[in-house]
Amino acid sequence: METNMQLQAPAPGVGTDRRAVVDEVDLIPVRTYWQLVRQRFMQHRLAVIALVLLAVLVILAWTIPTLTGELYQKTSLDLIDQGPSLSAPLGYDHLGENTFVRLMRATQTSLTIGFAAVLIIVGIGVTLGSIAGYVGGLVDNLLMRLVDVVLSIPSFFFIVALVAFWGGGNVWVIIFAIGLAGWTTAARLVRAEFLRLREVDFVQAARALGASPRRIVLRHMLPMALAPILVAATLGIADSVVLEAALSFLGFGISPPEASLGNMLNNAQRYFYREPILMFYPGIMLILVVLCASFLGDGLRDALDPRQRIER
Amino acid sequence: MTDTLLRVRHLRTYFWTLDGIVKAVDGVNMDIGTGRTLGVVGESGCGKSITALSIMRLIERPGKIVEGSVDLDRTDLLKLSESEMREIRGNAISMIFQEPMTSLNPVFTTGNQIAEAIRLHADIGAREAEDRAVEMLRKVGIPDPERRARQYPHEMSGGMRQRVMIAMALSTYPQLLIADEPTTALDVTIQAQILELMKELREERRMSIMLITHDLGVIAEMADDVVVMYSGKVVETGDVFTIFERPHHPYTQGLLGSLPRIGQRRGRLRVIEGVVPNPLNLPKGCLFARRCPCVMPICEQTPPPFQEVHPGQVSRCWLTPAGTTPAVGMTAPADVAEAEAARMTITADSGRQSATAAQMGEVGR
Repeated sequence: METNMQLQAPAPGVGTDRRAVVDEVDLIPVRTYWQLVRQRFMQHRLAVIALVLLAVLVILAWTIPTLTGELYQKTSLDLIDQGPSLSAPLGYDHLGENTFVRLMRATQTSLTIGFAAVLIIVGIGVTLGSIAGYVGGLVDNLLMRLVDVVLSIPSFFFIVALVAFWGGGNVWVIIFAIGLAGWTTAARLVRAEFLRLREVDFVQAARALGASPRRIVLRHMLPMALAPILVAATLGIADSVVLEAALSFLGFGISPPEASLGNMLNNAQRYFYREPILMFYPGIMLILVVLCASFLGDGLRDALDPRQRIER
Repeated sequence: MTDTLLRVRHLRTYFWTLDGIVKAVDGVNMDIGTGRTLGVVGESGCGKSITALSIMRLIERPGKIVEGSVDLDRTDLLKLSESEMREIRGNAISMIFQEPMTSLNPVFTTGNQIAEAIRLHADIGAREAEDRAVEMLRKVGIPDPERRARQYPHEMSGGMRQRVMIAMALSTYPQLLIADEPTTALDVTIQAQILELMKELREERRMSIMLITHDLGVIAEMADDVVVMYSGKVVETGDVFTIFERPHHPYTQGLLGSLPRIGQRRGRLRVIEGVVPNPLNLPKGCLFARRCPCVMPICEQTPPPFQEVHPGQVSRCWLTPAGTTPAVGMTAPADVAEAEAARMTITADSGRQSATAAQMGEVGR
């Protein structure tokens, strides 16, 4: 059917304009960039599985705690260490808390921290990176030295120091701490991309059309840098979730009765001999979230890279 | 006809590199009359594009416009503030680039991009701008402009994209169009179409064009006046007939001489021996002296001044207006007129042939 249409299409156009040039090549249907991206992404099976799984986790982690309200922090002496049942698929812990509900709440907390921290990372990183890359010269130098300074501090200790300074336990404090320690890579990435883009012909052309720097950056350069930013953001989610878990595990993060994957691990560790299974649930959930985010990032990277057209 | 739209005087643009200062544009003067086309020719690296970018004030670090003036309708562009200059760019002066394949933003539709160019300088709504974009696409001969306006650059061929670039450049009705090798990246048949289009639009708008190219065929086809540049300096200017018929500067003669002739298959193509001097280590005298077939002792010592060799034709060379070695202390001897007449017929002939060759697209590659 489609070949038929192509063959017929040139005929009506030709006679109408003396100068009209019909490009036969143009009549071949072309897939847009995003169609190609989707196609390549779908070929990355692990990434598709990761995306579905992550979506399921997000839905569960937001619906169950919402439906059950305060249940996740309700302790009960009668239910301590009880086995699985219909209302508690994963049984009860050493305080008689419903482990499944608590796990979902913990996942929600961890994902919230992951997403929000990445927003901060991308926000700071893109802003500073694009300024450095576009303006260049002294400004670039100063900003990149700032990046070096932040990078020279071991990031985990930097986060611990920030949390200790602002007072631990608060979700937002942890989000900001992770964000403030993590933007450097994103900034470097965006800067590198901008250094490349500012030499590109269509950016020069935009300048020759009289576009202002702001316009050039926002409209012509940023969309082109979107792909690496998206990949970095996805991978950043995995990093942030792990960082939160590590913080909470060490007691700097979210503290009970609030639930997070880190503090569930921490608690389980103390009762390891009595009820070792409690360690697995948050552990497996952590692995799932991190793997999903990583595979998703991997799939996106492959899909967004226009140079990669080979079928997998 | 003769009023000047753009007057460039003593323009110097230098680049500060790690190895030293590169004088990419070194004291360039040129005038572009209203409604006229000025062809700027020269080898790669002779400063053609940098001159154009200097006029647009798009020179970036490590380059800088050191001195000079660029008067557009008696306003010195070099004295304007950056935001005033933005009002000029794309509005009074538009520019089209060599590479149509990469000069359009791949993530926006062509209609969208032309509309953006319009809205940068005109206070009109998005819908109206898009209508005008479609109108411009129609004007540059793109069939089915409504559909084309909704397409992305990658859905078009090189010739189409160059048309889109021209539509974008002309959408604001500029007084001056700077075309930096607009046809170099296109194949021959498309080249001819694009040049034809530029001519038509120039007539229609009474627009001036600064046409940068190393393709003398294109110059013969398009230009009214010619500026020949060499190593950052203007070496010869004149109207297109004079330059093609009576080139004075040995470099211009060399350029014309190295055009392939249709029908002349035997023998090697004539070339100008040697390469452009290293911009970091320019010779003391005439910059062309080392490659010049008529080099004289004085050329190695002192840079030649401009001299008017014929009314309207200026050359930077020590040779006499007739093209002979100057006798010390006096002007040309009597038999020059005869010698020159002979030369004229020869070069006039070569000029015409190169014009034909250009239409066949055989030239300048």
